[in-house]
Amino acid sequence: MSLLSVADLSVTYDTKRRAPTHAVRGVSFDIEAGECVGLLGESGCGKSTLGTALLRLLDKPARITGGSVTFDGQDITSLDEASLRPLRWRQLSTVFQSSMNSLNPVLTVEAQFRDVFTTHTDLSSVEIRARSEELLEMVLIDPSFLRFYPHELSGGMKQRVALALALALDPKLVVLDEPTTGLDVVVQRSILDSVRTLQREKGFAVLLISHDLGTVLEVADRVLVMYAGELVEEQDSAGMLRAAQHPYTRGLLGSYADPRDEEVDVTYIPGRPPDLSLVHEGCLFADRCPEVIDRCRTEAPPLDLVGMARVACHVAAARPSSRVDLDSHFAPHERPGEAVEDVLTVEGVRKTYTTRRRGSVAAVSDVSFALRRGHVTALVGQSGSGKSTIAKLITGVEKPDEGSVRFGSLEVHSLRGRALRAYRRHVQLVFQDPFSALNPVKTVWQALSRPLRNHLGLSTEDARARAASLLSTVGLPVDFMERYPHQMSGGQRQRVVVARSLAPEPTVLVADEPISMLDVSIRAEIVELLDELVRKRNLAMLYITHDLLSARLLADEVLVLQSGSVVERGEALSVIRASEADYTKLLLDSLPNPFAKPAEDAAS
Amino acid sequence: MTIAQPPAVGPAPVDVPLAPRRGGVPQWVRILWANGKSRVGLALLTVFVLAAVFAPVIAPYDPSSAEFEAGLPPDGTHWMGTTSQGQDVFSQLIHGARTSLLVGLVAGTISTIIALLIGLTAGYLRGWVDEFLSGLTNLALVIPVLPLMVTLAAYSPARGVWLIIFVISVTGWAFGAKIKRAQIITLRTRDYVTAAKLAGDGTLRIVFREIMPNMSSLVVVGFMGAATAAVGAEAGLEFLGLGDPATVSWGTMLYWADNGGALLTGQWAWLIAPGLALTMLVTAMTLINFGVDALSNPALREE
Repeated sequence: MSLLSVADLSVTYDTKRRAPTHAVRGVSFDIEAGECVGLLGESGCGKSTLGTALLRLLDKPARITGGSVTFDGQDITSLDEASLRPLRWRQLSTVFQSSMNSLNPVLTVEAQFRDVFTTHTDLSSVEIRARSEELLEMVLIDPSFLRFYPHELSGGMKQRVALALALALDPKLVVLDEPTTGLDVVVQRSILDSVRTLQREKGFAVLLISHDLGTVLEVADRVLVMYAGELVEEQDSAGMLRAAQHPYTRGLLGSYADPRDEEVDVTYIPGRPPDLSLVHEGCLFADRCPEVIDRCRTEAPPLDLVGMARVACHVAAARPSSRVDLDSHFAPHERPGEAVEDVLTVEGVRKTYTTRRRGSVAAVSDVSFALRRGHVTALVGQSGSGKSTIAKLITGVEKPDEGSVRFGSLEVHSLRGRALRAYRRHVQLVFQDPFSALNPVKTVWQALSRPLRNHLGLSTEDARARAASLLSTVGLPVDFMERYPHQMSGGQRQRVVVARSLAPEPTVLVADEPISMLDVSIRAEIVELLDELVRKRNLAMLYITHDLLSARLLADEVLVLQSGSVVERGEALSVIRASEADYTKLLLDSLPNPFAKPAEDAAS
Repeated sequence: MTIAQPPAVGPAPVDVPLAPRRGGVPQWVRILWANGKSRVGLALLTVFVLAAVFAPVIAPYDPSSAEFEAGLPPDGTHWMGTTSQGQDVFSQLIHGARTSLLVGLVAGTISTIIALLIGLTAGYLRGWVDEFLSGLTNLALVIPVLPLMVTLAAYSPARGVWLIIFVISVTGWAFGAKIKRAQIITLRTRDYVTAAKLAGDGTLRIVFREIMPNMSSLVVVGFMGAATAAVGAEAGLEFLGLGDPATVSWGTMLYWADNGGALLTGQWAWLIAPGLALTMLVTAMTLINFGVDALSNPALREE
C-alpha cells in the first residue's frame, strides 16, 4: 500500500464575485514510503494548491470538491481538525517558500524547537536540547546558532532551520513547496543537497513542488508534471530526461542547457496558461502546443500509459518515440566584434555603506569597465556581491565614494536635479520584479506615456503612436495599451517594463536580473527580446545576473563579482567555458542542470 | 478583452488597485456594498443624506419660527413636541441633519487633506523635512484636543458653523498624517517609484499621482474616521454652548434642551431625538468603516 494515495482530487476556488476557478482537476497519483517525488509546473498551474490540499490546509474560498487523499491508510479528506492534529508535523510536515518568514521573530531558534517537542513529545529539556543541536547539525548549521533570533540569520539559514523543524519529529512525508525559490543559486544548491542526503539517510518521503524543472529532475526520483490543474505527465526522472513525452514537458526541458557546452541552444514555450475559470474543450495545452493536431481541440486526452510514462497527450500516445523540435528557439547570435567607442565608462569605483550595527561594508571596491554600443556586458555574482550597487551608481541613484562614472563627457556622480533628470533619459533600467515595477493603478498606456512626454516632449497623439510602436517592438498587441498590470502575466509585464525603458530612446540599458522572477519556461523569451533590442537599436547594455546560462546567451563580456571585487573578467565564452576563478566554477556548478545528473550517475 | 487572473493562492497583496472598473460601478463601491454591516451603514447614511437634502420638503414647519405654544409634549401636530421657545422639535431635527453632515463632510475633507499633505511630504522626503513635520504631528497628537477646541471656539471673534469646522479641522489631522506617513515609507521604495524617477517625473507628481492612488483605501479610512470624529466634536462644542446658539443643529438642540430643563418639563423627545440621531449617524459611519476595512485588507472581504 502506498504511503500517500491521491485519487481524482479536485480543488475549486469558489467566490461570489468571480466565476469558480478549478485549480486542481481530477488529479491521481501515489507516493511510496521513502520516495522523492517532484511536482512541476508554471506559476498558476495549481501545484501549490494541490500541495496545500494534501495537508488539508486549504483556506476559504478554496475547497476540495472531489476525490480523496489517503495517507497511511486513512482518508484525510474527511477527518476533522482534532483527528488531523496528531498527524500534522509528526507524520506529515511541510516547508513552504515563505517558511523562513514563518519563524516566530520574538523567539530564539531554540525556543521554536522546544515548542515543537513539548507539544508533540514527552522529551525532557536536556533531551530536547540535544535533539535540537542534532537537528541543526543535520542541516549544516552550527548548534551555537540555537540562541539566535530569526532576524540574525540569513535567508538560507532560516530556510534550513525551517527544514530542520519540519524534520524534527521524523515525519513520514514532507511536502516542500518551492523551498529554495528566492534564494541565491549557491544557497539553493546547498539546501537541495541537504534535502537529498537527509532523505536518503532518514528514509522519509518527499513531495518537492517547484516551477524549476532543473532542480526537480536533479533531486526527485519520479516527476509529476502539472499543467492548468491537471496532471499531464508522470515518469521517473531518468526516463523523463531521455524521452519526455508531453510537448509541455519537452518545452520545459528546452529551457535548460549547460552554459559550458560548445553550442548553447534554449527554447521556450510561447503563450500563457489558460484561464481556469472557463470551461474548456479538448486539451488545455492545445493553444501553446507546437505539435497540436485537430483531435486535441475537441477531445481531452486521458492520462494513459505510454512506454514507461503516464501521459495525457494524443500526439505522444500516437507516436511515443519521436523527438520533435519546438519552434521557438533562441541561440546566441554573433555580434559585430570590431572595437566601438565606449559610451559609458566606470573607473575604479568604490562604495562603502556604513550601518550602525554592522559597521562599514565595502559594497563595491575598485571596479572598472566600459559599456559599448551594440555590446552586452554581464555582471555576474551572488546576492550581496555588489551588482545592484553598480547599477545604482550608473543610474545616478547613488554616488561613488571614489572613482568615476563617465557618460561621454558627463561626470555622472556630480549631476544633480535637472541635469540628472536629463541624463536619465540616456540610461534606463529594466527592473527585476515585474510585479513591483509597474504601478498597479496605472494602465500600460499611462506607464508608457510618462517617459515619452517628459523626456521627448511628445504631444498626446504622438506619444500614443509611439507607445503603440513600442508595444509592437516588445511583441505585445496594441490593445494591451488599456490593460492594468494585474491583467497581464509576469512575462507580459516584463515586456511592458522593457518597452517603458526603451521609450526615451536611451543609449544605455541596465537590466537588473530581468528574468530571475519569471517562470523558467518564459525566461528565454525575454533574453531573446533583450538580445534583439541590443542588436537592432545598437544599445549598450549592462546585464546583471546570477545566472551564467543567460549571461552566456546574451553577453559579449562577463565580469564575475565576489563581495564587491571583480574576480574574473573577459570574453563571455572564455570566462564560462574556461573559468579560472574558483568562485566562477562554484557559480557554474550551482546552476540547476537536469542534464548533469546522468553524467554524475555514470561517474559514480 | 479577457481578464485572466491566476488563481489566488494565499492572501492577496494588501494594496489592491481601486481604479479598475467593471460594469461602470467603481470597485470600492462594490466592495463596500458586499459587506453586510457596511450595507446597513450605507442605508442609514442614505436616510440621513436624503433628510438633509430634502429638509425643507420633509420638515412640516420652519425650524426657527417660534410661533407655537411652548413646551408641548409630542402629539399629532407636533410629532416630537415643541421647545421652550415654541419651535417644532421634529423640524429642527430634520434641519439639524444638514449641519451635522456639512460639518462631517467639510471638516473630514479638510483634515484629510492636511493629513495627506503633511504625512506624504514627511514620509516621501524623509530627512530634516520629516523630522520637522513629524515633530509637528507628534506635537499635535499630545496637545489635549478638547481644551484646545474649547479655547479656540471660546475666544474666537466670530461664531458659527464655519468656526467649528475650522477648529475641528486644525485639531483633527495628526493621527491620519502619522498613518499616511507610515504607509508611504513602505511604498516609496517600490520599483515603480524608481521607474517614475527614471521616466522624468517630478516629486509632486510621483507622490500624488503615482503613490497616492495606491493608498486610496487608507485615504477613505482616514476620511471616514475624521468625519465621524467631526460630527461628534461639532455636537459636543455646540452642547457646551461654544457654537452660534441661533443655528439649528443637533448640538444646539441638546444645548437648549439641557438649558430648558427638557426632562423636568416632560419634553423627553426634545432631548432624546437629537441624541439618538447623533448616535445613529455615528453608528452608520462606523458600520461603513467595516466595509472600508475590507477595502484595505482583501482578506476581510465577504466572498
